Parts: sequence; C-alpha cells; structure tokens
Amino acid sequence: MDSRIVHFITALRASGVRISLAESQDAFYAIDRLGLEDREVFRVSLKTTLVKEAKDGPTFDRLFPLFFGSGQPPLTNGTGGLSADEQQMLEDALRQLLRELRAELLRRLAEGRSLTPEELQQLGQQAGLQNAGQAYQQPWLTRRMLQQLGLQDLQEAIGELMELLAALGMSDAARQQLRDAMQGNAEALEEQVDNYVGQQIAENMAQEYEKREPLDDLMHRSFETLTEHERDELRHQVARLAAQLRSRAALRQKRGKEGTLDPKATLRANLQYGSVPIKMKFRHKQLKPKLVLIADVSTSMRPVAEFMVRLMYELSDQISRARSFAFINHIHDLTHDFEQGRASEVVQDVLERIPPGSYNTDLGASLVEFAHDHFDSVDRRTTVIFLGDGRNNYNDPRLDLVDQIKRRARRVLWFNPEHPQQWRHGDSDMLQYAPLCHAVHRVSNLAELAEAVDRLFD
Amino acid sequence: MTRFNPSGTISASYDTGSQDMFKDKREVQHCLGEQQYIATDEIATVLFLAEQLNKPILAEGPAGVGKTELAKAWAGASNRELIRLQCYEGLDETKALYEWEYAKQMLYTQLLRDKLSQLLSEAETLSAAADRLASEEDVFFSERFLLPRPLLRALTSDKPVVLLIDEIDRSDTEFEAFLLEILSDFQVSVPELGTIKARHQPLVLLTSNNTRELSEALKRRCLYLFVDYPSMEQELNIVRLKVPELNLKLAQQAVQIVQRLRSMDLKKSPSVSETLDWAKALVALNADHMDETTLNSTLTVLLKHETDVQRARGGLDNRAGRGGSQVVERYDAYGPDPRRRKR
Repeated sequence: MDSRIVHFITALRASGVRISLAESQDAFYAIDRLGLEDREVFRVSLKTTLVKEAKDGPTFDRLFPLFFGSGQPPLTNGTGGLSADEQQMLEDALRQLLRELRAELLRRLAEGRSLTPEELQQLGQQAGLQNAGQAYQQPWLTRRMLQQLGLQDLQEAIGELMELLAALGMSDAARQQLRDAMQGNAEALEEQVDNYVGQQIAENMAQEYEKREPLDDLMHRSFETLTEHERDELRHQVARLAAQLRSRAALRQKRGKEGTLDPKATLRANLQYGSVPIKMKFRHKQLKPKLVLIADVSTSMRPVAEFMVRLMYELSDQISRARSFAFINHIHDLTHDFEQGRASEVVQDVLERIPPGSYNTDLGASLVEFAHDHFDSVDRRTTVIFLGDGRNNYNDPRLDLVDQIKRRARRVLWFNPEHPQQWRHGDSDMLQYAPLCHAVHRVSNLAELAEAVDRLFD
Repeated sequence: MTRFNPSGTISASYDTGSQDMFKDKREVQHCLGEQQYIATDEIATVLFLAEQLNKPILAEGPAGVGKTELAKAWAGASNRELIRLQCYEGLDETKALYEWEYAKQMLYTQLLRDKLSQLLSEAETLSAAADRLASEEDVFFSERFLLPRPLLRALTSDKPVVLLIDEIDRSDTEFEAFLLEILSDFQVSVPELGTIKARHQPLVLLTSNNTRELSEALKRRCLYLFVDYPSMEQELNIVRLKVPELNLKLAQQAVQIVQRLRSMDLKKSPSVSETLDWAKALVALNADHMDETTLNSTLTVLLKHETDVQRARGGLDNRAGRGGSQVVERYDAYGPDPRRRKR
C-alpha cells in the first residue's frame, strides 16, 4: 500500500501539484492514525494533507480513483436468471454469429467477464498506450481500445443477437433481461478500460517525471542551452522563486522597518500620557525600491529578458513603483501592459509585438528616445536596471546619457548574461558602460538572475 | 536574561491529553450537528484529523460559506473557548500578540512614587540607588502590565481553546511569516519575560478568501480544507435548520433560486449567509409562496450589486412564476439524529 501511495504522490507531482516531503510525511501520519478501512476517510486524509490549493483539487479527484479504484460496480452475470434451455439458445445464437470478434464480445458481456490485466495490457499495447504521457490523450486512447474490443457497433450487435434469440424462441422477458444485463456490463467495461488508460497515463507521467533533470540543475544551466521544454518548466518555477524572494524581502523589511525618530508622530501619540514621551514613533524607512528596467529584447537576449520581466512582475507587490522598457533599436514602454493581465500572457504579448528581426540592436538610439520621452521616470529614489549584453553593433553607445541617468538615479545596475572575458571582444561596449554603473551582475542562468534580483531588495 | 516571575498564569507546563478527543469523524459530525452546523464528511474528517495530528487547518473558499461559523461550531463541539483574531492590512505583533500597558505602568509609577523615594532614600550612593531600583524592575515588567492579545491569550489560556485566525489573506506577508513561528512551536518569546509556551495546544483554524496567494511555508504546516458552496440538498438542510419557521415548499423554492443565481455570471454570488438572511426576510414578510412581487422586493437581500439584480431579474423572470413545480426530489427531512443527514 505504501508504495502505491508513493506512486500516487509522484503522479500528482507529475501533473503539476507541488507536494513537499513534509506534506507526504503528513499524509502517511494521517493514514497511520485513521487507517484504511473507510475509503472516504482515506481519500480526505490524502487530499487534505497533499493538496493545498483549490485549483489542484480536480487533479486529485481525477487521479485518486485511478490509483485506488473508483468503487465502480463489478460486471454482473446476465445468464444467471436464464433456464438451461435458454442458456442453450444463447449458446447456439452466439455460435451462429458470423464474426468471431463480435461473438467473443457478446459472450463476455452476457457472462459479465471483466478484462483480465493481461488482456488490458495487450489492448493497451496495440493502442500505443505505452507512449502516452499526457492526460488529454485519455479519451482518445480509451476509444481506440474499445474499438479494438468491437464496442463501437454494440447496439447493432446486440440487436442482431436478439433477433437470433427471438428466432430460436426465447421469451421476451428473458431477452429483455439479457439485454439490460449486457448494456450494464458494456458500460462497466468501458469504465474499466477508461480507468486502466488513465492509470497507465498517470504512471507513465510519474515515470517520466522521475527521469527529468532536477530543477536545481536547470536553474544553473545557461539560458542559451535550454530547450523550449526546459524553459517551460522553469517558467512554472518563476512564481515559486518569486515567492521565496518575496518572503525574504518581506522579512528584511520587517527587520529594517524602524528608521529615524518621528517627532511629530511621537508628540501626537503621547498626548494621552501628558506629553511624556513613552511611546516612540519612528519613520518607516522607504525600503520598497522604485525600479526602471531597460531591457534588450533582441534575439540573443530574449530568454533572459523574458525571465527578468516575469520575475519583476511576480514581485510587483514588493516594488513601490516599476516602469519597464524594452528596446532593440527603439524604446517601447511596457509599463502599461503590466498594470493589467497576468504575467505569462503579457510577456508573450509584448514579445510578439516587438518581433526579433534583422534590425540592429542600438542602445544609444534607444537611450536618446528614453531621455527625450521618459526621463521623468528616473528620480533620486529610482534604481535603474539595464538588462543587455552591451553589444551595440558599433553604434554610438551614448555614454553621456548613461552618465546623466546615473547622476539622477539612486543606483544604476547592469545585468549582463555574458562572461566578463567576452566583454572586450567584438562589438561589446560593456567595458565602457561598466564604470558608469554601481554594480554589474552576470545573469547567465536563472539562479544568477534570482540572486541579482534579490540584491535589489537589500 | 529571563526575569520572568512565575506568579501567574503564564507557565511552561504542557499538557495535551487533558481534553477528551473525538473518537471518530461520525462523532465530530454529530457534535457539530448539535451546534447547528451541518458538516460534510470531508469537513468532519479534516477536523478530526487536525485534532489527531495537532495541525492547524487552513480553510479556503468563497466568502460567506460558513468558514468562520465552522470555527464557532468546532469550539462548541469540542467544549473549548473560541479566541478570534481578525486579520487586516497592517496588523502587527502589538495587536495580535501582546502589548505593554503603558498607561497603567505610568499610573503605578505615579502612585508608588512615595514608596519609591522612600526605598531609594536609604541608598547611600547613586549607583546603590540604581541597583535598588533595578531590583524592583520586575514589578513594572511583569505580567500585570502585559496586555495579552488574541495569540497570547490562546497560548496562556487555562483551558484548551480554539484559535480562529480569520481572513489571513488580508494580513501582510510579514505577519504571515511571524505567524509561522507560533504555528510550528506554539510558543512565543517576550523579550522582557522570556519564552512563553502554550499550556494546552490550541486547535487552530485559519480562514482565507483567497484574495492573495499565501506562502508555501504556511500551507505546508496546515491541513487544507476547501469549503465550497453547499449542494442544493445541503443548503436546504441548512435553511431548514436555521430558519425552521419557513415552510418547506418555500424553502425549497428559495434554495432553488439561490442555486440558480450562483450558476449565473454575477459580480458577487449569493452566499449561504445571504440565503439565510433571505429566508428570514421571507418569514418576516409572511410570504407563503414565491411570486414575482415577493421575489422582486426581496432580491436585494441576496444580491448586493445593482447590475447583478438587473441580470438576475432577466434570468429568473421566466422561472420564478412556476418555480413551485420543480421541487427538490431527494429532500430528506432533517431528523433528530444528525447523522441521517448525510446520504
């Protein structure tokens, strides 16, 4: 049983439910305490300890019956109520049926024989079940397996059998009884196949899930080497990463909350004690940073930019004001897009609107536009982040404008995915930009990016 | 430095076994039923499990499905006092845990001034006076001047309690992080007094309307319970239980209309508490059947947005008149034994 539960937990994880070790441990504790006798209690114990988000409830409800049986009624023997004569008639009728497969199926339905595991396995193999790894494939595969059983023209087959039986002289009542039993059995059989398919898919997914590369490794792999699939996996992690960063930032804020004494508030608060200063009031430090992100979204920078923008969006409640701009050779203001809609869609939208083309990356020109249109977004409390590789295609880097921004802003940071050794080669202006920044962080993978973002909240 | 004097109720002794625990989920369900709370199997099982495993419950679900009510019923059913902490933005430790009662401290200092100067007059030097004063310091930083807020009350209570932390999603992330420490160890430290451990481990229920994502750490420590709107049958039982004056047929119609409203695309779906308000309104109006005028005049009890009311009128118009023909078929009148309620 224990291994079945472990399997089940893996399948849940594979379907996107996040379950920590502590939570699976709780599940086992709960089952220890409450036992396995009551199926409903068992189900609720697992659910309440493992599933912590309402949206994961349906996934649990879908997988649970696959692993622990759905409590479906078993197939019933429809021939029990028939007399010996009638049974003989049925036997004759079945023999008269011309098509082998159909006769076999009808016999099974009449007698109420369910499919054995071997039969299920064989059917599954023919349908290609072993390669299925997605939940949406379940209905299709079920249909295929039922077709192999010959269930698709069942009504016709039953009708044919009934005609034969009528010709052989079976009574109406007995025929009706047999017919009902066969109908019921057919439904039960469908359910059996459907459950089997669901379970196999869940197990395939669980196996696949166990084989995948640990996330930690993915976080440390460079953005360029990630496949689209791996990138997708990481995208799911961004929200989680953001939650970690957020709680760290929140704690830091809690600790650093008290700033200098606020005399006005102190006087006011202590009026009730006859102006004896008993309660001190302090100014709250403005710790939430104001951010301006200027991100290069040319082809090479796209993955980094996407993750950066996602992180920033997820953390927007820890940022007092965020403006984001994207550029290739023109500056685009994205701030408005982020004030509405979910991160994932917005990022896609924005990136589609600024397609990577053959135009030249030109930070200099973009900065001119920025200085002209959006310079008011930078003030003395703003942290300006440049996200880019600093490769300007030999255009004018406009260092003077970066310098101007630096003089206006609280901090200027540069996030660059390239290794410092590459800065001196080719069209990189990074060595010229670097002295103008307060700090340059290398962000070649998600772990580095997260760390760089975390520093923003210091 | 722990200058805590063991005079009063704050103590480090710990006993969990004193309270009778429920034997199984049936008993939980039965006792909740006596508290006029109709619990599904799932709710009863989770409550039972929470007591067995000593874990807090995090109850999520739409507003007004009876999450807070559940805590009250739980407290009643387990014979414990209910201590409630209502969360809001900006809630901090001084409001949730404890606060020094400055005014009282001040007052005592003033009143005891003579005694103090008498005490200090015997001292020869300044440092001797300071030492003497320091030795009496405990008087002013004792439990006497500690104003316990809900969390501390729950920990130091003489009797076992149910602690309800209501609408945790409204509090700030910082407060959530602070709460974690309490929920995992059931102890807090007051710098002036030392560590205070729970005498009895409280049963804890946190509720959330899911207005923001709660941290994973918090979820990990809790059992999770999603409370959804009740089914038609359950809701009818609730109405029959709480508003017995309403006749059966009208109650059926009312519940049917509410269930239909929930399936519509409204700004705010009517909650169970609103169904009950409506039922009470119908009783107060002496309505004996549901007709268009009754419905129109009382619909605002259920729906709190003008656009919703408009939309509902459009949607219900063709049904309200003959709503009586579709009665709930599976209705099983609520008998004396609450266990019978469940199918």
